[in-house]
Amino acid sequence: MADRKALEAKRKTYMSCCDIYKENGNVIVSMEMPGVSKDNLDIKVDGDLLVIIGKKNVNQPDGKYMIREIRDGDYQHSFTIDETIDRNKIEASIKNGVVSLKLGLKESEKPRKINIIAK
Amino acid sequence: MAIVRWKNRDLAYPWDKNDPWADFKNLQDEINDLFNIDRYPEATGLFDRSISPAIDVLEGDHQFTVICELPGLNQKDLDVSIASNILTIKGEKKDENINKKGKYYKKESWTGNFQRTLSLPASVDPEKISAQLTDGILTITLPKKEEAKTKQITVNIK
Repeated sequence: MADRKALEAKRKTYMSCCDIYKENGNVIVSMEMPGVSKDNLDIKVDGDLLVIIGKKNVNQPDGKYMIREIRDGDYQHSFTIDETIDRNKIEASIKNGVVSLKLGLKESEKPRKINIIAK
Repeated sequence: MAIVRWKNRDLAYPWDKNDPWADFKNLQDEINDLFNIDRYPEATGLFDRSISPAIDVLEGDHQFTVICELPGLNQKDLDVSIASNILTIKGEKKDENINKKGKYYKKESWTGNFQRTLSLPASVDPEKISAQLTDGILTITLPKKEEAKTKQITVNIK
């Protein structure tokens, strides 16, 4: 029961907009996480599981809401990555509230040109 | 290349492990979530586009605060202006990959021009407006004019 209470006390999480783009042997995953700073971002790779958790900075100004469209909660994304992604080639950056992950594909997965030797 | 969105049900609802209805509950939650996404803003001006960033407006005793989610925008892409009581937030969200040769596997974020217009219920002091853009969140503070503030009047009973 203690676990349940702890979980209920936690802030809600939801998935924000996410783009997946592939170019030059890299997969670029970018997620919109407005309100998340570098210190509040947590990215981990556990085997095949890639988890990105961004905690929003909460500083609510005084007053009552007239319009409320921004969802309250933190961001969480989980992906499974397969063996074509090189675990040692994962880079992450955050700029203006957009988290960008660069996943490098393994050399063996990249398209290769085969030279033909004429005899 | 395979990259699949993954959802751990046991992590999300650990107390439901022995509940036979847990799957139905998950399904219900997921469907509810679909409807909860605010794709359409509640309040828009006449010339606003259908795609626009989400905003919060708060009214305090001395000021209005407008919070706007603008991930990926720089200061130079934004234009905030005020004419009497009408606040306009304009800007352009650019697609960084537009000139590159890659391919999108999934695109959920929007790009393009946007505009949001808000008419504020009380007069604000245009000289004292301040705006700040941090981590993709734009915060505009609009202090009310002296005459528009709520005043405390004490009544002396004799």
